[in-house]
Amino acid sequence: MTTTKELWENALVELELTISKPNFNTWFKDTHVVRVEDGVVYLGVPSQFARDWLSTKFHKDILRSLRGLSDSVRSVEYVISRGVKKTDEPKTVPSAPSELPLENVHAKTNLNPRFTLQTFIVGPFNELAHAAAQAVIRKPGIAYNPLLIYGPTGLGKTHLIQSIGNHFRINAPDRKVQYVTSEKFSMDYVSSIQSGKIQSFKEKYRQYDLLIMDDVQFLAKMEKTKEEFFHLFNYLHDGNKQLVFSSDQHPNVIQNLEDRLKSRFSAGMIVSVTPPDHESRLAIVRSKASAHGVVLPDEVLEYLATAVEGNVRELEGALNLLLIQLEIRTEPLTINDAKTLLRGASNMTRKSVSVQEVVKTIAGFYGVEEGSIYEKTRRKEVVRPRQVIMFLLREDFKISFPTIGEKLGGRDHTTVIHSCEKIRTNIQTDSVLSQELQQIRLMLK
Amino acid sequence: MKFETSTEQLFTATTIASRFAEKRANLPVLQSVLLVAEGGRLSLRATNLECGVEIIVPAKVTTEGVVAIPAGVLSGFLSNARGKVVSGVLEGEVFKIEAERAAASMKTIPHEDFPLLPRVSAEKAFTVKSSDLSRAIRNVAYCASTSAVKPELQSVLLQGEGGKLLVAATDSFRLAEKSISLRSGGSVPQLLLPARNAAELMRILDTTNGDVEVYYNENQISTHVDNTYYTSRLIDGTFPNYHQIIPKTFLTEAVVLREDLSASLKSLSVFADKFSQVSLAIDPVKKTILLSSRNPDVGEQTSSLRATIVGEETTMSFNGRYLADSLQAITGESVRLHANGAGKPMLIKDAVDESFFYLAMPMNR
Repeated sequence: MTTTKELWENALVELELTISKPNFNTWFKDTHVVRVEDGVVYLGVPSQFARDWLSTKFHKDILRSLRGLSDSVRSVEYVISRGVKKTDEPKTVPSAPSELPLENVHAKTNLNPRFTLQTFIVGPFNELAHAAAQAVIRKPGIAYNPLLIYGPTGLGKTHLIQSIGNHFRINAPDRKVQYVTSEKFSMDYVSSIQSGKIQSFKEKYRQYDLLIMDDVQFLAKMEKTKEEFFHLFNYLHDGNKQLVFSSDQHPNVIQNLEDRLKSRFSAGMIVSVTPPDHESRLAIVRSKASAHGVVLPDEVLEYLATAVEGNVRELEGALNLLLIQLEIRTEPLTINDAKTLLRGASNMTRKSVSVQEVVKTIAGFYGVEEGSIYEKTRRKEVVRPRQVIMFLLREDFKISFPTIGEKLGGRDHTTVIHSCEKIRTNIQTDSVLSQELQQIRLMLK
Repeated sequence: MKFETSTEQLFTATTIASRFAEKRANLPVLQSVLLVAEGGRLSLRATNLECGVEIIVPAKVTTEGVVAIPAGVLSGFLSNARGKVVSGVLEGEVFKIEAERAAASMKTIPHEDFPLLPRVSAEKAFTVKSSDLSRAIRNVAYCASTSAVKPELQSVLLQGEGGKLLVAATDSFRLAEKSISLRSGGSVPQLLLPARNAAELMRILDTTNGDVEVYYNENQISTHVDNTYYTSRLIDGTFPNYHQIIPKTFLTEAVVLREDLSASLKSLSVFADKFSQVSLAIDPVKKTILLSSRNPDVGEQTSSLRATIVGEETTMSFNGRYLADSLQAITGESVRLHANGAGKPMLIKDAVDESFFYLAMPMNR
């Protein structure tokens, strides 16, 4: 049994052969089947012109081809259907003045209604971002514009920015919200160029009262999209429209991002979400488990929170692993079961990285020659990277002080201890340094 | 087909009809004017499938017949034709037309594909004075949006209630509404006439003085003016409920001479930036409105208007073009400006005529 849509498409193919091309293009362009009832096919047509003409001129042809395709068709009715597509290109763009607050037809926001602030777990690692999001919801366009939330993957950035959109939609149902990933934005832009509809692309994005864009760091590599984004940003920001972004890095360290964009991001509020601490992880695991309606022994939850560090998404994955097991087995889950199950997911066993590799990565990050790290030189631009290398080798890879010293050009272990101490204390005060470290850790993963 | 008719009448009819013919139509027959000669009259039809027109011209028909002639060709010949009478005859696929001391043969287009003009039953109708409706459309249609993003804003709204017909248009940056009195028809639901088609309707309405009856259904609107039948599709959509956003109370009210305001906006436009920004400083103490515009590439200008002012001092910025647009719809000597301070929309009215208003949104910078 073919669907009604296929039925009409097949009929169109037949009709196209019997009717001249200009006629076909003019009269059959925007037709579609609205519904089929008791053998009557209701054809949706764009206007009364088309209805009158199809029913007088082409009725027989249409009926014949539909009957040929399906025996159940008895007759055809023509209805003028709602929402006719218009293809006219707009000519001018009125700009700058703000729009009249006319009520809008509810636009597709692209938001996932599942993400709200009620389901967002707040801990010390994300409370600033959470507070900023709340402020934006209360005073969109005024409080922090733009709001940029950055942090490593899987820490709830998307959840947070989508909940801003969802709450905004509830508070002001007549305003337009759009959630878009930077990739979708870029694809939209490219296809608008291809089809020569750049103007409607611009208008589409400029109508929003709240624009939420996920993963803006990807824009950095796309020259033209970045430029378009820059103009869009200015337009919306000037109109006091709220902008919300997420990124996996602080904009200042995103490579290939122009200063003008960096400074614009900085104009509002830039907050980070960091990996949750142990207590928060425990709270997250608890709440996720109870959301699934299961009770796990405390020690299992405790183990889960300890074993799976960092990423909330990984944490959720690990939890799901346990939940599936719970469903198929009869006896309760013990801590040992959890340990065996989670062997793969746990990142307690950190992968081993060779010292050379770490040195190479970090030297590359700071733009110093790899060789100079091993040398005796005390030039400033080499000293800092060298200290960072020592610090990371000790902290993240648990290599002993003497080994580190030996590997890095035969230094004394006290030198290494001093370096680690120095970096450790500097992190507390030097925000640039701590960002750099975050970056490097990401690169080493 | 063979007929004789008045040159002037045929020329007028062709001029109107050819505006409806599409120059770059998919369907070649849509580039033409259809001539139908039957029973003592000649009817001319043209359509672009958005709107259509039929004009009846009295004629002496010797042989009945139908022919489709490219609109440009026919009107081109007639615009230079002299003499009182013009005669036409169809020979095979060639249409021969003869005026005083000029004759032409025109290639025709097969007329079988020429669509029917939709007819609207007279069940639902309203009557207004033709010149009122034409003026109302002229007063608001320039506000309609040119962007296809919101089709409902590409329209002129007609809505009747309590003996009044409201005619309005907006592109969401400004809004104009004119109300005219309904002769009959009581309540008329929202009819969204495409702004482009409204301009054609306006031209047709201008040709007559009396009342005009407008028929409508869900999808189509049509009207008869003398010998002319006009029809247009209606846009399917809901016009924004604009009544709720019109401010009712104001902090500042100023009355200025329309000519003064119009002249200074015109001269300020030379110095306006690409957004045509003009700022208005209303000063109740000095009894002046100081207008200024500035373009870093050109220079700047200020211009001061004497005004009667009630209320607070205020400074606002607007798109100067939008302000100037409103004045073309106002015919009285003075204009009233109702303002609520910076960042709030301003209402512009004729000082005495309450039937028209214009709402302009401010600029942010």
